[in-house]
Amino acid sequence: MNTTGIIELHGEQPVDQAPLETGRDRVNATLGMILFIGSWTMAFGTLFLSFLVLRDKIAVWPPAGIALPSAPIAGIATLVLAASSVFVERASRSLAVAPGAGSDRRSSFNSLWITGMLLGLGFALLQAWLWYDLILAGRTQTSGLYESLFFGLTWVHAAHVLVGLFMLSWGLIGSKLRRYGPERRSFISNAALFWHFVGIVWLFLFLGFFVF
Amino acid sequence: MTSDHIHPEPTTFLKKHVFSVDHKVIAKQFLWFGLVWLGIGGIMAMMLRWQLANPGVPVPLFGKLLFPRTSGVIDPASYNTLFTMHGTIMIFLGLTPAMIGALGNWSIPLMIGARDMIFPTLNMLSFWTMVMGGAVGFYSLFVPLGATEAGWTGYPTLSTTVGGVGQGETLWAIAVFLIGASSIMGGINYITTVIRLRCPGMNWMRLPLTVWGLFLTSILNVLFIPVIGSAMILLVLDRVFGTTFYVPASIMSGGTGGDPILYQHLFWIFGHPEVYILILPAWGVVCDLLSFFARKPAFGYRTSVGAMVAVTVLSAVVYGHHMFTTGLSAMLGESFMLLTMIISVPAEVLFFNWLHTLWKGNLRLTTPMLFAMSVIFVFGLGGLTGIYLATIGTDIFLHDTYFVVGHFHLTMAASALFGTFAAVYFWFPKMFGRMMSERLGKLHFWLSFVPLVIVFCIMFISGYAGMPRRYYDHTSTEYLRPLQHLNVATSVAAFLLGAAQLIFVYNFIKSRWWGEPAPQNPWEVGTLDWTTETPVPYYNFKTIPVVQCGPHEFSNPVLGPDTDWIYQTEKLPG
Repeated sequence: MNTTGIIELHGEQPVDQAPLETGRDRVNATLGMILFIGSWTMAFGTLFLSFLVLRDKIAVWPPAGIALPSAPIAGIATLVLAASSVFVERASRSLAVAPGAGSDRRSSFNSLWITGMLLGLGFALLQAWLWYDLILAGRTQTSGLYESLFFGLTWVHAAHVLVGLFMLSWGLIGSKLRRYGPERRSFISNAALFWHFVGIVWLFLFLGFFVF
Repeated sequence: MTSDHIHPEPTTFLKKHVFSVDHKVIAKQFLWFGLVWLGIGGIMAMMLRWQLANPGVPVPLFGKLLFPRTSGVIDPASYNTLFTMHGTIMIFLGLTPAMIGALGNWSIPLMIGARDMIFPTLNMLSFWTMVMGGAVGFYSLFVPLGATEAGWTGYPTLSTTVGGVGQGETLWAIAVFLIGASSIMGGINYITTVIRLRCPGMNWMRLPLTVWGLFLTSILNVLFIPVIGSAMILLVLDRVFGTTFYVPASIMSGGTGGDPILYQHLFWIFGHPEVYILILPAWGVVCDLLSFFARKPAFGYRTSVGAMVAVTVLSAVVYGHHMFTTGLSAMLGESFMLLTMIISVPAEVLFFNWLHTLWKGNLRLTTPMLFAMSVIFVFGLGGLTGIYLATIGTDIFLHDTYFVVGHFHLTMAASALFGTFAAVYFWFPKMFGRMMSERLGKLHFWLSFVPLVIVFCIMFISGYAGMPRRYYDHTSTEYLRPLQHLNVATSVAAFLLGAAQLIFVYNFIKSRWWGEPAPQNPWEVGTLDWTTETPVPYYNFKTIPVVQCGPHEFSNPVLGPDTDWIYQTEKLPG
């Protein structure tokens, strides 16, 4: 691996050079992730467009006289998810620090990362609570347009929360296997990017359903 | 990890030919996959034409096999299924893999001097996701109550449980979703590869125009496929979980309902860029091939790039012209009309450049060149008739007639298909190491080109006379009965067109295994793909090449009298 991108082959048979990441590789991986998130922004943008169009058809917003999802729980969930993002980001950045006390760095990464994961799990539970509350009150996705919107959009978001949690767990396993370090951390930074994206989407859902 | 690193060549059959991460193998997989589906979609078209020409007459040969309950006659429900699946298959499972999957995977790394795609595993995943989508779509043909009947656009309420009972429609939505996911993976890969893996010296203005076309297509893929993905998610939620996004209030048991027109907006926000997703790679190939075989530099390279970029941007803001009859406000309607008209400006720039590339060229009328030239003609016909459909006044009259069918088949279907054929004939020697028969290729071209133009030009006439699309039997309607001879003529030409494709199948298979071995550079062109050995080694380039000149340095006076071309890796003399 070198920075000019020109590589000579030695002998007839190409050999695997089992590389560490270069800065160039990291840019590649980040660029791929940014494109992916750009794509997913359009996907969620479509859902928000539908939300705005359909919300316009509901005379009173939020609908009066029926059970609504609990705003305080949703507010707490928002804070929990935001805190989770902060921890995940700090964990990701701790990997970039120049080597030195190697074992210290890994343990600080692990504790930050696990805290982020647990907070993420907490968000998932609060989300489940929101649904459960509504279902107990007799409101399901078939009850009307408001419920269609609320359940439909939060389901799609929750699916991404699950994918995000899976990525965070995968990162933790990798870290336990000592796979990451300053020269091998694209997966971690990309997982963090995805997790932030999931958080930002939730922020819009929160604003749409509970604030405006 | 990525990019310029060389992986050891796999040795097991499974890793080498099935779950390969090599872009060349994946390109071939996409090509075979796409060609098979083009065949299936084509047979469906033949059955549609049979029904329209001979309503109620059993389909010959295999009719009894496919429609046993009606002893070979296509019943109205099957007819709906056929035209729906014909459209879906041709667009998502035929042209997308053959044009974008195969051509993109093959040409991008080779033309920009890279050893592979930047994310090889994602590339493999993209292919197998598409296979899954194809499998779901194919399976939907056999569920009870049959596949979807809602048309390839899948408009609610036809596509909700109100209009479409059974699993067919749900499976269709899932198939489109999976194929879309595959296209997004491919798009992310292509964009990152073109940005990051161009070899030294390959600056943006030295890229072959094929790569430009594919690059812009990928941008549209990444930005607009997710829109239909979300639309499909909402459709599946409506169908499976009983939400009411697209189900209007009037048919609900009280309470508030959704909006079927919302789906049309979402569909066409994706659907219009999709037209350009299919046509931009074809345009890129045409730009390159016209220059290669006219032995002249591509006229106005920079303006061609600019025009394609302009079309890419404009394609995102014209989708409303599909919806003039839904009651768009006058202001919106006129804005969409104006923006649609503006697209013809960059399109004209491309036409001008193509014609000027041919002008006084030393034309070599090989099969790929014939197909490339035919795209100019076919897309010209389709583009000019598009003006009538972009104009609100005429569109309201022509909406949902065969005029529309003729128009979009010439633009996005025939042009993209002929572009694909041009690409297949052109890259076949490098891909499979053997030459395709030129004689059969030319026969295939003329027997495809002439009937194709006849088929769709008759559709303009019958559509202008008022023949609606998607009708099961035009003879059952008094005012359409005098037009039936047009239907018969269209079908005869269509059968000729279909039969001509058998020549291609024969030529492709025969040449693949028994064709003449191909030299390294049979067409004498200078782009990087032709600097590699034939067959292309696993690592493509032993040394990452360094580019010294543009892709179209043909007949440059500084080259002297003995040769009229130069490799991109060579320096222009003087």
